[in-house]
Amino acid sequence: MNAWKIFETDLITQMPLILMGLVNTLKLAGLVSVTGLLFGIVVFYLSISKNVFIRSVTNSYISFFIGMPLIVLLFLMYYGLPQWGLRMDPFDVAAIGFTLNVAAYNAAYMKTAYNGLNFIQLEAASAQGFSPFQIFQLITLPQVLKLSVPALTNQVIANLKDSSVAFLIQYTEFFARMQELAASNFQFFKAYLLTAIVYLAMVSVIVIFARAIERRVVFPTH
Amino acid sequence: MALIQVRDLKKIYGDQVVLSDINFDVEDGAVRVLMGSSGSGKSTLLHCLNRLEDPTSGSILFRGKEVAGLDVDVRALRKQIGFVFQQFALYSHLTVLENVTLALKVLEGMKKPEANEKALETLSKFDMTIHQHKYPAQLSGGQQQRVAIARALAMDPAVLVLDEPTSALDPIMSRDVADLINRLHEAGITMLCVTHDLALAQNISDTVMFLDKGVIRADEKISILMSDTSDPDIHAFFGNKDNKK
Repeated sequence: MNAWKIFETDLITQMPLILMGLVNTLKLAGLVSVTGLLFGIVVFYLSISKNVFIRSVTNSYISFFIGMPLIVLLFLMYYGLPQWGLRMDPFDVAAIGFTLNVAAYNAAYMKTAYNGLNFIQLEAASAQGFSPFQIFQLITLPQVLKLSVPALTNQVIANLKDSSVAFLIQYTEFFARMQELAASNFQFFKAYLLTAIVYLAMVSVIVIFARAIERRVVFPTH
Repeated sequence: MALIQVRDLKKIYGDQVVLSDINFDVEDGAVRVLMGSSGSGKSTLLHCLNRLEDPTSGSILFRGKEVAGLDVDVRALRKQIGFVFQQFALYSHLTVLENVTLALKVLEGMKKPEANEKALETLSKFDMTIHQHKYPAQLSGGQQQRVAIARALAMDPAVLVLDEPTSALDPIMSRDVADLINRLHEAGITMLCVTHDLALAQNISDTVMFLDKGVIRADEKISILMSDTSDPDIHAFFGNKDNKK
């Protein structure tokens, strides 16, 4: 049997597992994109608090999780925490670890957008009688989210690609399954090329959605 | 009783006295003009009135009720004072219509159709209904100004406060603002206008308060202030040819 035939046969045989891996990849990337955004909004909200203590704790959180490599965080949680009696399954570790990391990045993007806001608008809202939380909810957050759309959608792409590191903590996602395929017939080039093409296809879909969102939500500012 | 009575108002930042011994009244239906050069404390005084800044001491009576204290419902007070900012401060992510309806829906609890109807009725008074779906960045300065005034008036405030309404506008638009203020005055709207534009002041009122270095130095007819040569500061401000446009 030639190399292509062997690869094709193994690919077909292992397809159910590969598809399950793909589902796991999408499940993890999709979940952390949502939780990372929601928790990122909370972190951003706290990072612009008038309370100096809350602000400094939140900014330390952002610096810490942006500064720590994701793989170190995942290893710390998956291999380190059991030594303290806390054992979680790979998906939980990946979901929590990614969320902590992604939220820090998203909060940083939102802070950058916030610094570009016209603060007189916030003062005007206060003068109209809106409460500080209403101002955040109705004026600050919508503008910050709209200005952050390109950065936030790039983060979703990064989440999809970075989810492949979760295979290192035994989470059997798409890349892990393609590793198994490559190892079963030593057709590394073909397996990893196919992996790259699949990731590229998924990223392209996200990019198409992202650009559509940008066109819909971006408002004229000049 | 005057709508607003300010008595012995003082504002201090650190060791810098920004406002001192401020006393004036704003009667119902009146147009009061406050003039002064940059840094004289005009904006701080306006911010103290609706408590964007807390006065250090003194009294502000709004319809006879003290509003300078710590136990005041600041948000309820702010709803009574329509504030139009120097740079208009329209919400850039909202359309003209949404800018006007936001407070009606959230603060007044109106349903969307009711808020829209009220907003469109107010916008129509300023010929802005045609622009209702535009964003602020798509409007000229004068149009933004009118939307900002409509946004404030839609809440039926007791007083409309205008902070430097012509500073961001060209001379033609400035004249339009004067006409607009006069129209609102005829409609019975109480206004307090802060400006350093003497032409605007002359067009909308006979008298002005002159604020200088945090103190009201005069509350007098403009014609008298313009011919006053005894006080060097008043003469420098009102006697300056550049101001007499």
